[in-house]
Amino acid sequence: MSLAKLFSVSSRVRATGASSLVLRHAQYSTPSDGGKTEMVYPPNLPGYKYVNAEDPNMSMKEMSNRAAQTLFWTELARGFAVTLAHIFKEPATINYPFEKGPLSPRFRGEHALRRYPSGEERCIACKLCEAICPAQAITIEAEERKDGSRRTTRYDIDMTKCIYCGFCQEACPVDAIVEGPNFEFSTETHEELLYNKEKLLSNGDKWESEIATNIRADHLYR
Amino acid sequence: MSLAKFLALDKLANFFTIIRQNGGIRGSLYKLYRQDELKDGKLVGEDKYGNKYYENPRFFYGRNRWVEYSDKVNMNYDGSQVPAEWFGWLHYKTDLPPHQDPSRPKYKWMADFTENLSGTTGQYVPYSTTRPKVEPWDPKSKSA
Amino acid sequence: MASLINVLLRKSKNFGQTVALTKNLPALYNVNSQRKAHRWMPDEEYVKQFEGAVMYPDEVTSLLKHPPYNGIITPGEKQVRNMVLNFGPQHPAAHGVLRLVLELDGETVRAADPHIGLLHRGTEKLIEYKTYTQALPYFDRLDYVSMMCNEQCYSLAVEKLLNIDIPLRAKYIRTLFAEITRILNHIMAVGTHALDVGALTPFFWLFEEREKMMEFYERVSGARMHAAYIRPGGVSLDMPLGLMDDIYEFAAKFAERLDEVEDVLTTNRIWVQRTKDIGVVTAQDALNYGFSGVMLRGSGIKWDLRKSQPYDAYHLVDFDVPIGTNGDCYDRYLCRVEEMRQSLRIIDQCLNQMPPGEIKTDDAKLTPPSREEMKTSMEALIHHFKLFTQGYQVPPGSTYTAVEAPKGEFGIYLVSDGGSKPYRCKIKAPGFAHLAALEKIGKNSMLADIVAIIGTLDVVFGEIDR
Repeated sequence: MSLAKLFSVSSRVRATGASSLVLRHAQYSTPSDGGKTEMVYPPNLPGYKYVNAEDPNMSMKEMSNRAAQTLFWTELARGFAVTLAHIFKEPATINYPFEKGPLSPRFRGEHALRRYPSGEERCIACKLCEAICPAQAITIEAEERKDGSRRTTRYDIDMTKCIYCGFCQEACPVDAIVEGPNFEFSTETHEELLYNKEKLLSNGDKWESEIATNIRADHLYR
Repeated sequence: MSLAKFLALDKLANFFTIIRQNGGIRGSLYKLYRQDELKDGKLVGEDKYGNKYYENPRFFYGRNRWVEYSDKVNMNYDGSQVPAEWFGWLHYKTDLPPHQDPSRPKYKWMADFTENLSGTTGQYVPYSTTRPKVEPWDPKSKSA
Repeated sequence: MASLINVLLRKSKNFGQTVALTKNLPALYNVNSQRKAHRWMPDEEYVKQFEGAVMYPDEVTSLLKHPPYNGIITPGEKQVRNMVLNFGPQHPAAHGVLRLVLELDGETVRAADPHIGLLHRGTEKLIEYKTYTQALPYFDRLDYVSMMCNEQCYSLAVEKLLNIDIPLRAKYIRTLFAEITRILNHIMAVGTHALDVGALTPFFWLFEEREKMMEFYERVSGARMHAAYIRPGGVSLDMPLGLMDDIYEFAAKFAERLDEVEDVLTTNRIWVQRTKDIGVVTAQDALNYGFSGVMLRGSGIKWDLRKSQPYDAYHLVDFDVPIGTNGDCYDRYLCRVEEMRQSLRIIDQCLNQMPPGEIKTDDAKLTPPSREEMKTSMEALIHHFKLFTQGYQVPPGSTYTAVEAPKGEFGIYLVSDGGSKPYRCKIKAPGFAHLAALEKIGKNSMLADIVAIIGTLDVVFGEIDR
């Protein structure tokens, strides 16, 4: 496609037989019949479509139709009718704390640290989540525990820095840090959103039923 | 269309069902005050905190499942009072309510559900989970 | 007889006198009528008491003097200035944090000076310190009403630098969601434009639909807005089962909602009067000011990156690009509505042509392994660790990659020095050029038309301030 054609600025060369009323929404592109595209206005270049190019039809009938529309407010009446019809439709709003909107198992909400079924915490302090976190919201410190296993001593997430991208749960090789389904964790102060390890673990203990179900529901795709 | 439906008698019948199910006129007025809305539905279950879960497919998707918060909380109901077990059902993730879903894990370390306690005395206060790296010098204990 | 003649003569002499009398009658009459006996002529001392500037002068007011009756008072020089009005950043029609300094002459705008920077977050600089993976979520937050298109642009840029191709299914998923995003954006644009101009109702209808599309976003990625779904090398997860059915069902019904909106707006005389011949941009100006997208097409220039340099699966789907004629707000509105309909067409074709298969490249050095693989294969685990700590190296080079975002040409100039972080990332936001032309478009229009023009520019400050 030549550049000149692409930039062909619409010039008002009207077709001789372009007086038929064109239905704006029903018309799709039709391949033009060879070479004559530039002469027609609107030029029916395949793939492009003019939305407002037709000059008003000047036949007596069309003109009186337009005059009648102006005089009798038909388009306003139609608009009002559409609006009125919506009054009788069921409202789409939901009564929030009682009814809740649909969520998917993939929803990325409040973070939680999970445990193994035995009750042992999963996180092994590999710090992948800390490394991948684009907002650097995660801080981890690790020590060797008395039984010789490597565990975190500090696992802080600044929930006000977090951008809920879900990279931490993607990075976690042991499914320890997850973004759980909960979104109702708004607080009244900033401090309450500086989560530490205990808070995250207790989130995990509270939400394990739902988190585990979500992971199972989505296991085909992960 | 039947004659009853034509005369909107089914709407009238629905109205009386709703009033009956919500505990008569008195009970209905209380529920209307508390929940801004009266609906009739099938009781699907009740969690251990006293919240009741209802379902009625007559309403459109998004409104056909709802929770009536426990009477204990009175007007202090909150969205975060729905426990994790029922969360998925209420949010249309699953059609199985938790008591019919055997695959849901039940471990003994799983904690009791708490609502969002922000602004109460039970709220979370952040603290450091590690020993501080710099110990402040305490002259008395050193000299002793 | 003689006496008769004598009398006659006497009378005729009198006649002569009377002729003279009648000749001078007006003068005589006036003299006689200007006796002014009916008029009161006040005496001098009576007049004197009113000579002061006030009727009952005290010691201060007695000093006041009447100005001389024929005196010429030279007017003092006055500084006359046009009113300067701050439009925004709190004005609800300012679409976010636009601060517009308007110079008003009455109600006519003589100069419109947009001030930007209130939402500046330093994204471009931030990206230089993030790996290619980490930079991705920041693109959602640029143009925060067309999230996935920004991601798509970034992913295409990285893929171009890496010189990789992605599976066909990923291309179709990207196209599908890019078009959902286009509807999402145009809903916002048309809805708020109508809201600014005074039609509140379509906004509610359209946002109900927007909510449904946000649910699709949520189902596919886990977030209603900031999806982080389209990644370099494909998309992050496959679409869940049943999603395509629901999208189809939505797309089948959405055209009806659009018809309703058009019933209310398109021919409505108030809407037409508020938008027709308002904010006219000539084709020449549109080119000179670097417009793109609907702003360019509304002026009659046939330019769409999806047609001229198709990316992803756009060369496989059939669609029309709406072109306006007059370059006014009305034509741009028609273009947006028509683009939504064309998007529905593309969505339909994507759903029908959606091939089975992989959704990201199988290059283990670029895309993280699936979780099952990662947990069973040592090699995959090592790759997983490498990808999530260091990221992947991108060969040195630079690219300018642009996509047809709903607002226009969203481009990224990405320079790689061979490391795992971009050396430079310049973001070309379409809204920036459009807002910059507000001075040109809005000059000499009425104050109320400025609102309509801002609405039609479709400015979103996430991308303008970056």
